[in-house]
Amino acid sequence: MLKTFAASLFALLAGLAVVFIATDRGRAFTTEELRRAEVAREPRPIPDLPVLDAAGNIAGLRQRLAADDRVWIIDFIYTRCRSVCSSLGSVYQQLQRRILERGLQGQVGLLSVSFDPANDDARALQDYAARMRLNPAVWDVVSLASPDDRRRLLDSFGIMVVPAPLGEFEHNAALHIVDARLRLVRIMDYDAPDQALDAAVPAKR
Amino acid sequence: MNRRNPFTPATFIALAVSVPAVALSLPPMRSLIEQSMVWHMVIQMPLLVLGGWLSMSAMSHTRASQLLTSWNRYGLTGFFTAQAIVAYWMLPLAVDRAVVLPQTDLLKVMTLLACGFMLKHSFERSPAVLQLFFVGYAVSMMTWLGVYFATTELRLCNAYSLQGQAEAGRGVVLLAWGLGCAWLVAAIRQVPGVAGVR
Repeated sequence: MLKTFAASLFALLAGLAVVFIATDRGRAFTTEELRRAEVAREPRPIPDLPVLDAAGNIAGLRQRLAADDRVWIIDFIYTRCRSVCSSLGSVYQQLQRRILERGLQGQVGLLSVSFDPANDDARALQDYAARMRLNPAVWDVVSLASPDDRRRLLDSFGIMVVPAPLGEFEHNAALHIVDARLRLVRIMDYDAPDQALDAAVPAKR
Repeated sequence: MNRRNPFTPATFIALAVSVPAVALSLPPMRSLIEQSMVWHMVIQMPLLVLGGWLSMSAMSHTRASQLLTSWNRYGLTGFFTAQAIVAYWMLPLAVDRAVVLPQTDLLKVMTLLACGFMLKHSFERSPAVLQLFFVGYAVSMMTWLGVYFATTELRLCNAYSLQGQAEAGRGVVLLAWGLGCAWLVAAIRQVPGVAGVR
């Protein structure tokens, strides 16, 4: 019986320990929570992948964002999207409005990055910019210049894209705050744009 | 000196369940569990546990099984182990990881087979009261989780759609109650005087 007690106790403790460690000490039960906690604890540098803008220019993502010392709020989109990205789009419209109202355009910029380079060329980005009424002083949209970089882009930010019916994609949509040192410092819910803005402003330095 | 033939009908049944269950983690079948949470959580995972269970049935009189007995009195160790394994693979982040990382998927296959293996060993050695405790716990845990999966607006697994999650949630609830009922039937048939036992 002693052997059984020892083995049972071991199984119980090992099980608890594994679950405790896997869930970041009971704080994260989903991959999304884990990703956010990891980034908050340890900011990650963003990758320097070549991106294409609506004007057809190609430049490295880091190079592009380093052009001024704004903090960036990044989201991931594909322009054909009708589901979550349309609400993400309206969140970005709200954010654009709030930035202008609060006079933060010199401090915070918005960037939408397409993960669908096969469909999103410069023309598609132009259409998106027009449809969403992008103010170029605040909000920018880019696509990957090379489809081969898609995996790296998604992995470095922790985005998982799942094909959905009707040629759509489902993905973990969120607001990604990148500070002036080009590090991903916070990931926030996309339905709380004001909180993201409040978090972005002090992230400047 | 009378060696048993290892290829009994029970061995074939165990293989008939375990092999397809493991094959679901390998191409070309793998796309099923990558694309559908129902295939992953409601079909593959239970099949792996069943495969482990049947493997233990096939070798319940071997030396290995008897060696395990002194470590598994009243089935306690097996129940605790199985509970820990099942609890871990019900975490949404663990399910995601098994989809994305092959080494995690291998761990999933091995632990769930071991889970069924231990459960069978335990059920043969435990009093009904103890079984009731663990089965009751498992059914309530799975029901709670399944209802949560089926009703929340939050996408819990990044690897699966919200719709797939709701379907899997309903599947987990059905599975929990199916297992609960199966246990109840088996437990009642053990009682002397029931089901033709005279």
